[in-house]
Amino acid sequence: MIENALDKLKILADAAKYDVSCASSGADKKNNGKIGNSIAAGICHAWSTDGRCISLLKILLTNYCVYDCSYCINRVSNDVQRASFTPEEVADLTIQFYRRNYIEGLFLSSAIEKNPNHTMEKIYRTLYLLREEHGFSGYIHVKTIPGADPMLIHKTGQLADRMSVNIELPSTKSLKLLAPQKSVKKLMEPMEQINNGIIQYKEEKRHFIHLPKFVPAGQSTQMIIGATKDTDLSIIHTTEKLYNSFNLKRVYFSAYVPVNTGSNLPSLATEPPLKREHRLYQADWLLRFYHFNAEELLDPSQPNFDMEFDPKMTWAFRNMETFPVEINKAPYEMLLRVPGIGMTSARRIIRQRQIANISYDHLNKIGIVMKRAKFFITCNGKFHGQLDMNPEGIKEKLAPKPKFEQLSIFS
Amino acid sequence: MIYLYDGSFDGFLTVIYEHYYSEKATAIYRKKDYQIGLIDESKTIEADSVKSRKVHEALINKFSTETLNNIQYTFLSCDRNKDTYLLHYIEYGFRIGKRLDFDHTHEVVLPVHQLGKRVSFEVHRFLGLLRFQEVGSVLYSAIEPDNDIITLMVSHFADRLKTERFIIHDKKRKQAVIYADGHWYLSDFHIKEELQISEKEKYLNALWKGYFKQIAIKERENLRLQQQFVPKKYRRNIIEFT
Ligand code: SF4
Repeated sequence: MIENALDKLKILADAAKYDVSCASSGADKKNNGKIGNSIAAGICHAWSTDGRCISLLKILLTNYCVYDCSYCINRVSNDVQRASFTPEEVADLTIQFYRRNYIEGLFLSSAIEKNPNHTMEKIYRTLYLLREEHGFSGYIHVKTIPGADPMLIHKTGQLADRMSVNIELPSTKSLKLLAPQKSVKKLMEPMEQINNGIIQYKEEKRHFIHLPKFVPAGQSTQMIIGATKDTDLSIIHTTEKLYNSFNLKRVYFSAYVPVNTGSNLPSLATEPPLKREHRLYQADWLLRFYHFNAEELLDPSQPNFDMEFDPKMTWAFRNMETFPVEINKAPYEMLLRVPGIGMTSARRIIRQRQIANISYDHLNKIGIVMKRAKFFITCNGKFHGQLDMNPEGIKEKLAPKPKFEQLSIFS
Repeated sequence: MIYLYDGSFDGFLTVIYEHYYSEKATAIYRKKDYQIGLIDESKTIEADSVKSRKVHEALINKFSTETLNNIQYTFLSCDRNKDTYLLHYIEYGFRIGKRLDFDHTHEVVLPVHQLGKRVSFEVHRFLGLLRFQEVGSVLYSAIEPDNDIITLMVSHFADRLKTERFIIHDKKRKQAVIYADGHWYLSDFHIKEELQISEKEKYLNALWKGYFKQIAIKERENLRLQQQFVPKKYRRNIIEFT
């Protein structure tokens, strides 16, 4: 048993690091206790050497696990160093780190040491200590343990800002293959419960003044990318469904880093598919903020994203008849679909048009990436791309690009 | 006429007053930033609270909150020409009113938007990158930002660390905001001797450093990306990089 806090912290941070779903955003909250608030935009506190932002103290309560999910470093059949924190230790560490402005709050997850209830109970206890004993109003995100008593999940939800259930793999088939002890049904149950809890809270809030909040920053989930043969299409389909049926706030994608060997797993030499992960995040952005549907972005004849061009550009190539759009006339929704125009520049265009017509020289200053946009727009009726608008010609103009080579995952 | 002033917001607003009620300004500089030129005529203006208040009220009546924020943020920028940019922005604003910021591409609006954005970006960045150390019963932090941002940061921490006492020290400008019991003030500030760090504090530093190191996924290492987010110039005040 490891007693030293530093060693424990190292083990339990290491065990948690593959979970990417821990951004601190989604809730503006004033300090109504002794310490802590949060701002909706989220604050990144540090960036680790992999270039990822650290905003929360992300640890497992324990990495002792009775399950044997094949992609997971902590599965019972692995011979790794094990440790557990007590709820008191986690609460204390969170407060000490928070006071020094190292972190924005806590992201607490756990392996399943004995059974789901035992683990969920400890998670609840940690939150109770933080909120009630330390008067902490900062951000807390916890992992829900599927299979735990719904009452316990509910009580925890009244103390957390965000909860997540990681579905890890985007299809039933893949779950069967890599995590046979989990089932889609068992994962969906707590998701549904949390969603219902959130909806119910919103309803009841209208009638009661003092009602304990319930998961005010919503729920999220994560999927591992590249551990199975699932296509991008099936991943974004699942993503869209999760947004629609459970009102998820975020779906996170995590490029699979091989930690185990196994006949159903990619080889240990496989590079994490980072570019693919990036494309999926771009697509997710298009779903959430740009009013795209999953079917518009990919279809069975083309089930994976182009590695050379981003999803919006690929969409534009397949829908050339929609273009060009006129900067001085197009509605906001249409401007958003132009490659090289983002939400800020679309908004600026709309505002600027209220003052005066926009001229070609202005487009750069508005923040439009002209290199990409010029093939898809006119400005005061004039087209500034090439005369013959066809995808192949444009692709060539936009090259040369450093080619990203994706290593074959299933070699 | 080039107007010079003491660097305070009151001083700046007094210059705007003079611009409208006495001689037109061609440029405005802080006195300590300005090298007296042989050809240009310059005049130093003393801050006058009656005049500055009049201008301030006019700004509040005439402009949107967005514009007022832009003025505040740009004023705290480290750009040498920011006062002159603000002069033209305000002048144009008095002509076109509340929709001033809609005219994003206008030659006098754009520089202010850009500077304001740079300052607000730096504020946001430092809300995360600032590190406190416990010294006695006070949380102390040192930063060296490009822009003069500590007064823009303090309310965030005052809410967050409501029951603590803390100091945010801008080492570059030799100033600090000091917070205790629900109030804060800005003061000249410097530290004579090295701070005494307790054993407990050293242990917590070690815990954080250990965590910081462990959380990185080595298969995804990307030092260039890391440096883009945490430029080297900030690192000497960030515990995990020291
Ligand atoms: S239950 Fe969680 S911690 Fe345990 S093996 Fe499966 S993924 Fe890993």
